[in-house]
Amino acid sequence: MKTILQIVILPFLLWQSAFSQNTEDTVKIKTVEVIETIIPEAYKTTKFDSTVKEESSNLAELINNNSGAFIKSYGAGSLASISFRGTGASHTQVLWNGVALNSPMNGQIDFSLYPTLFFDEAELHHGASGLINGSGALGGSVILNNTEEYKNQTKITFKQTAGSFNNYSSALKLKLGNKKWFYETQLFGKMDRNNFEYKNISSIETPTEKLDRAENKQFGLQQAVYYKLKNGSVGGRIWYFNSGRELPGTITQTNSNEESQKDESIRALIELKGLKNNFQYHISTALVSDQLIYKNKQANINSKSNSQLFDNNINTNIYLSKNWKINNNINFKYETAKADGYSEKNNRIRTSWLLGVNKDFKKLSLNAFNRIVVIESELKPFAPGFGAQYKIFNKEQLFIKANTGINYHYPTFNDLYWNPGGNKSLKPEYAKMVESGFSYSKSIKGIEINTAFTAFYSKVKDWIIWQPTEFGYWSPTNLKDVENKGIETNLSLSTNIKKIRIKGSGNYAYTKSTNLKAKNEFDNSLDKQLIYVPYHKLSSSILINFKSINLIYTYNYTGKRFMTTDNEWYLPANFISDISISNQFKITKTWDVSASFKMKNILDQDYQSIAWRPMPGRNYLISLTFRLK
Amino acid sequence: MIKLIYIPIILLLFSCTKEKLGPQCISCKVEETNTQQADIIIVNEGNFGWGNGSLTLYNPLDKTISQNIFSQANNNLPLGDVAQSITQLNNKAYIVVNNSNKVEVVDINSFNSLATITGFTSPRYFLPINNNKAYVTDLYSNSIQVVDLNSNTISGNIQLSGWSEELLIHNDSVYVCDMTNDNLLIIDPLNNTLVDSVKVGESPNSILIDQNNKIWIMCSGGINSNLPKLIKFNPQNRTIENTFTFSSISESPGSLKINALKNQLYFLNSSVYKMNINDLTLPISTFIMNNNNTFYGLDIDPINEEVYVSDAIDYVQNGIIFRYSSSGDLINQFNSGVIPGSFLFIE
Repeated sequence: MKTILQIVILPFLLWQSAFSQNTEDTVKIKTVEVIETIIPEAYKTTKFDSTVKEESSNLAELINNNSGAFIKSYGAGSLASISFRGTGASHTQVLWNGVALNSPMNGQIDFSLYPTLFFDEAELHHGASGLINGSGALGGSVILNNTEEYKNQTKITFKQTAGSFNNYSSALKLKLGNKKWFYETQLFGKMDRNNFEYKNISSIETPTEKLDRAENKQFGLQQAVYYKLKNGSVGGRIWYFNSGRELPGTITQTNSNEESQKDESIRALIELKGLKNNFQYHISTALVSDQLIYKNKQANINSKSNSQLFDNNINTNIYLSKNWKINNNINFKYETAKADGYSEKNNRIRTSWLLGVNKDFKKLSLNAFNRIVVIESELKPFAPGFGAQYKIFNKEQLFIKANTGINYHYPTFNDLYWNPGGNKSLKPEYAKMVESGFSYSKSIKGIEINTAFTAFYSKVKDWIIWQPTEFGYWSPTNLKDVENKGIETNLSLSTNIKKIRIKGSGNYAYTKSTNLKAKNEFDNSLDKQLIYVPYHKLSSSILINFKSINLIYTYNYTGKRFMTTDNEWYLPANFISDISISNQFKITKTWDVSASFKMKNILDQDYQSIAWRPMPGRNYLISLTFRLK
Repeated sequence: MIKLIYIPIILLLFSCTKEKLGPQCISCKVEETNTQQADIIIVNEGNFGWGNGSLTLYNPLDKTISQNIFSQANNNLPLGDVAQSITQLNNKAYIVVNNSNKVEVVDINSFNSLATITGFTSPRYFLPINNNKAYVTDLYSNSIQVVDLNSNTISGNIQLSGWSEELLIHNDSVYVCDMTNDNLLIIDPLNNTLVDSVKVGESPNSILIDQNNKIWIMCSGGINSNLPKLIKFNPQNRTIENTFTFSSISESPGSLKINALKNQLYFLNSSVYKMNINDLTLPISTFIMNNNNTFYGLDIDPINEEVYVSDAIDYVQNGIIFRYSSSGDLINQFNSGVIPGSFLFIE
């Protein structure tokens, strides 16, 4: 009976990303260094475990394989954008050490351009919690943080991978320091041919063809220098990233357009942070500079766009008493962008101020926030959030939670200024969000159980959509109202059987994202699911650890996605399993090496994440990681 | 606890279900798709890069509709995108699929694929010169491709400078809209050479010939750049006989069509307009109001002068076709595929 129960409930069990296996990279942060605005526990967050982070090559893979958020990938190495709780690609904000990275031009992030090497911790802040990080998060936020350690250390980690389809990557991490200073250098390089075979079902004989023109090169560098002060630290980071890739066409194309894209980014951050008595502060100033060059040889297009973002933050937390905390965050942004599609260089100033209060009672925690935004001369004084968490029993780790909030997403430069079509009279999109759920953790007979359940509801108004006009060009309007509702659950179970540690975990998300507005009586998109938002998404994994050997099996299910707003066309579901085995060896007293072998898509499933863009079949990845302790 | 071991096995079993690959259509029924004379094919462009162009078959007598007939007749093959235009030559239809860089050749009755002509850059319109040779205009290749209809291959090209759009043949000359240089190009099809070019209005997008052998060219005026113009051209002396200028640069007229008698012009300018070839001014009143629909494609049934207009709605769902009588009264409406753009009245 028990076994049957396991089978029946299996698809519904949503297994938390985390393997709680401790690796030496898991950094325990001292209180003094925790300066980020911590999201109250009343809000749903997903924290990615460091093992999972190490296993993933980039942020796209990390999020897609370990959370309920959906990554829309145009293929290996190609553009990967996010749909979080049913929202659009620009509705998720990505913050790196508090700096907003979303492009001022289209509001989006290409998640394939963020190797996991370049951040130490990653977290998803679902729904209304995104308000605490900044405005614009209608679906949620992705938080990438780096950490510093002040101790005597000389640590070198070098990782080399070689995979199928002539795919190679190298990563070097160097950490030096003492009790006063912290230096970190990270270098990353990648060269992928991605010339994998696929069955061309758009040709009458369904021949097996090799993907052409999918080469992808990335190079990145991150340098950090920090100095420890009496009650805090001061320092900065520079992150340079350069990517050049060919853009393969769809398989229905019989000729290549010979498209390519180059992305280059510089992100520089200077920050001062600390804790003195009951006053915690984080002051930062950052410059994010992005350049994108798109070329299409057939169409003779060579377009270049540049954007700069100055992002300044003063975040303070005041602990009035053990149970009272006040957050006060001031943000000043200056955005500027130039593109072939703009008739002039555009810029704007955005100022926002978040004031929050947290109060912990014996069993109850309450919080309330409000964010005031001034964008150019327009004032939006009211974007609040409220949350509560209640511990039901004294001795059980069972919490019930609820929260609600409002957030605005402002039109991007493309929406406002693209020539032709840009619409200066666009209103900001905004979302009203509410969620509630519970979390529970318990250890029963040596089995550690962690589970959480969240139900969410949000309404996005004035959603901006680009559509053709009668004048022969495309233009954006505040066309749609969208309702998103669903559940997110996770479960992880871990135990030790003799010397073997087993951990199973999973995440499941159900997302119903429907259009509430019809253009006219013939519009069949009313009350239909938005395109490319899967109803069902399951990601799960099993980790078996024996001595220094790790065996990891992951299974990801992505349900069908509609391709048309009337839901007449869809892409079928896919379920992808990966397996990897790794072992760590000692080479010398101070050097370790770990070798890993990974088989991806072990059932060699043919699938498309986006219509007519093939994804790789079964493929292999070997990696060697050398570590100087 | 050891039962946890079952989990990967169960997951593997889950994974073993054979799934379909590629986009799937929910309500495309497999039906007999044999066409007959007077049937209408609606070419649904599909979205750029989405591979979802399709053909809808409509019988105006019994009002039956068959969706996605190319895929259905060809073992679920996608038509590709963007299905730009369709041309009948004898018992074959040639479908130009722009972003898939190809021309599909199908049997006009069964819609079975007979050949796929490849090697194009960004093909737009197909014009048979005779039973052995055709021209295909192109957005990006700076040339017109010459196609050998016996071998279904590209046999040559005519170098141009820019985007060539609609074209027609009359008295051993081919007349081509040159969108880039705002010219009407004149080509000698015997030698495949460009012989002359005449300045017309900005962005000439459609062209046809009337019963008096006068050529009409619709020029959209570009995007908020010039006043749109309808041009009446005399091919005999290669001069512009009349220029009808629209009143606003924000207008974007297109889809110039003519009835079977070749004396009534129709075109789209948000709404449908009708104009006699002997009129001295542009029509002031609309022939068919758009009633807040976004009219996208237009054509005229050669048999009874009924008017077919398409609306792509939000461009990401199956569009709708409005069918009007020759006097402009709505007869009925029906769904087609994604972004219905052009029509073929089977002869």
